[in-house]
Amino acid sequence: MSARNYRPLQMHRIAYSDLTEAQVSQALRAAASGPTSKSPLSSALAGKRLKIVTDDGGPTLEYNFRSARELELSEKGGKAAKCGYGALQDRNLVLVSHMIPGTQRGYTLVVDQQSGLATVFEVYFSGYAAQEKAAAAAAKRAPQFKNGQRNREVQRKIWFGYVEGSGAVPTARHTYTNRLEGKGIYWEQDNDIEILEFYLTILYSNFIELTRFGGEMTIAAPSDYIMVNDHQFIYSRIECEFTGTCTLQIIDLFDLTQKGVRLGLTEKDELEYYLYSGKGELTGQIATFEVFGNNSLTREGPRRVYRPIETFDVMTDEQVEDQVLNHAVTFGDGMHTGAASMGGYKGELITRFVGKQLTVRMDNGPAIEYDFADAKHLKWRYAGDSQWREARYEMYEPDDELYFFAHLLDAEFPRSCALVAVDMKNGLATLVKGTTGTPFRNNETHPTYYFGVFHTEGGPTPPTYIRHGWTDEMVGKAVTWNYQPGNPGLTSMHFYAAPHTYSWIIFQPDGSGGLQWSSPGWYSKVRDGVYIMSWVEEACNGTLGVILFNERLMHDAGFGFHVGPSGLSLSAIGARARHAGTFDIKKYLGVKT
Amino acid sequence: MSEKTMNSSRRAFFLRGGAALGTGVVATVGASAAPAEKRTPLEEQLSDLRRELQEAQDRTAIRQLHLDFAALIEQQDYERAAQLFAERGDLDLSGERAQGRSAIQQLFERKYRDQTASVIHSAYRQNASHQSNDVLQITAGQARATFHVDAQLSTPLQEDCTAAKMARLQGQVADRRWQAGRLEGQYVKRGGEWKIASLKYLAA
Repeated sequence: MSARNYRPLQMHRIAYSDLTEAQVSQALRAAASGPTSKSPLSSALAGKRLKIVTDDGGPTLEYNFRSARELELSEKGGKAAKCGYGALQDRNLVLVSHMIPGTQRGYTLVVDQQSGLATVFEVYFSGYAAQEKAAAAAAKRAPQFKNGQRNREVQRKIWFGYVEGSGAVPTARHTYTNRLEGKGIYWEQDNDIEILEFYLTILYSNFIELTRFGGEMTIAAPSDYIMVNDHQFIYSRIECEFTGTCTLQIIDLFDLTQKGVRLGLTEKDELEYYLYSGKGELTGQIATFEVFGNNSLTREGPRRVYRPIETFDVMTDEQVEDQVLNHAVTFGDGMHTGAASMGGYKGELITRFVGKQLTVRMDNGPAIEYDFADAKHLKWRYAGDSQWREARYEMYEPDDELYFFAHLLDAEFPRSCALVAVDMKNGLATLVKGTTGTPFRNNETHPTYYFGVFHTEGGPTPPTYIRHGWTDEMVGKAVTWNYQPGNPGLTSMHFYAAPHTYSWIIFQPDGSGGLQWSSPGWYSKVRDGVYIMSWVEEACNGTLGVILFNERLMHDAGFGFHVGPSGLSLSAIGARARHAGTFDIKKYLGVKT
Repeated sequence: MSEKTMNSSRRAFFLRGGAALGTGVVATVGASAAPAEKRTPLEEQLSDLRRELQEAQDRTAIRQLHLDFAALIEQQDYERAAQLFAERGDLDLSGERAQGRSAIQQLFERKYRDQTASVIHSAYRQNASHQSNDVLQITAGQARATFHVDAQLSTPLQEDCTAAKMARLQGQVADRRWQAGRLEGQYVKRGGEWKIASLKYLAA
């Protein structure tokens, strides 16, 4: 078990300090002596001098490695600076990391002693705001931050080059790659940290730190993937939107080992600067969607970063109350089909219960009586109430004799909706009640699950003990979702990463995986191969999505519940799925025994 | 590791193809007024050569204007694309219309960059099978041209959900397809520089 002492909050709920440059400088002082390491450091470069030349106007670095812990660096022929450093070795590759004392910058190098090639990560703090403003101005878009400077976030520039020697200048270089895309690895590091990493896109990765809260949540981070050869890769990520920490490692797929460095300021604003080694287990490889021949060797322009926490429109209680009471729209309120957005492949509306009554009775939850007036309107009341309420609804049949419908509940604040699955073959019902507001943000939503039964004329006798229930059967699976016709239409990939979380990936125009984010998720089983999966886009846009996914049909029926500055909405989801693959990760997750 | 190679883009291919465009171009020049005074054969020859040189330069300039427009649209450098138009220039791309350079710039900024247009032209490539039908006519500081192209038509994602927002950040669209058509252009020469006076895309 890791000895790290975390704050008792999930990473997306921590209000990270917006440190000043002076505070960052203060925190970085200890970095001057170089990174710590539990494993023995490499002395492969001790006593050697290296001149690293990089392409495209990058730095020329002249190193004098005086020992295994101290080096002198001269940049572009300038005065040499003494720096503490650390190095680890993977076969022919040496990973070197150091900061430059008195500055907020440094270098992490991967030097290939065999080929003479080198990749240089120039890392620095306090650079985000100015860079983002410049990038936004160049792209004629708004900067992706509203407040503060984000000085704590590590920035990196990547330079490809070589070690100058007596022979000819090598023409080859390490390159960007998609060769890790779709792979997952479990790592056990020498500092007792256990982590699941998933390299599902060429711009992002997601990870589950098992030694942090038991691996409840997966987190997505912008990442770099560089190919040294067919079995050695350089991978880095920066935990943007969180601590801003940079993790950079060599991954060797021959023996599934890692050599890495972690540099940043923790959630407690303390320096975290250490080298680590690790041993891995391959958890799987899912499909990728580029055309053959596209190896993602080049990358143009600044890195893309999705910053939902920074760009989230936080609303006050009063604003949310106004929206949920006065600007609520259910299935377009008849103004449109609701087939746009995520409902492009929704099924036909089901009228089976029109003119009939139905009562769903939840264990330890509400009992609700329904009277279905027509295909779009119903009356409902809590059992025992004399007063019926009217509501607009939509009902779908995602599996044979399995119905899923949704409607808004009373016009009160906070406001709720009922998403009801009625299983005519088994006499079972599941109610997911979506409600606006969380302890963190008013315009987020949250689900409450109830399992139970139902009664209707001609329906099955409800069982006494059997219920729909929680499941981990979806965990590890990756499924693409195509929400609309078109090329490519609105399309994403879900990765059901753990029993309480999931991540989604948005493809780039060339089919490669691009931006990625994650949220808590809930999984329940209705029938074999038929599941209710829900998620809340916490610290993102607050939406509750609930889908009833039929793996035989590779199709879903579901609903989205959202409140924001333009109102409260309940809308339909209907999409076509493809199976992208499965990671074998259940053994790492769940309650410890 | 892999050898460092120069990435050849579709735009580069298009521009290389553009060099061959002239093979299919018919250029006609309005008869200029013959000088009243009698000229020597050498002067006549020199005058003809000057006129032919000017014609060639004008043809090249207009073709380059067309190529620049295509490249800037593909690069989404809309500000510079608008500067290719004359002050009172017209633009009509699949129903997205604007009259006057500043209106064209606004159209690009508001409807193209912000992806609010129903259809966006995101790239052009030469239509090889109709290239021989391209036409370029130059008459006294004005020109008309027809360039047969395939236009890449992109339908923006209009939705406001998270997935759509993320997709838009990556340049993703709801639909992207190629359509055969032609760009009908009119050009004017102002201060020695050719500008687009009118540009209209017509589907084949």
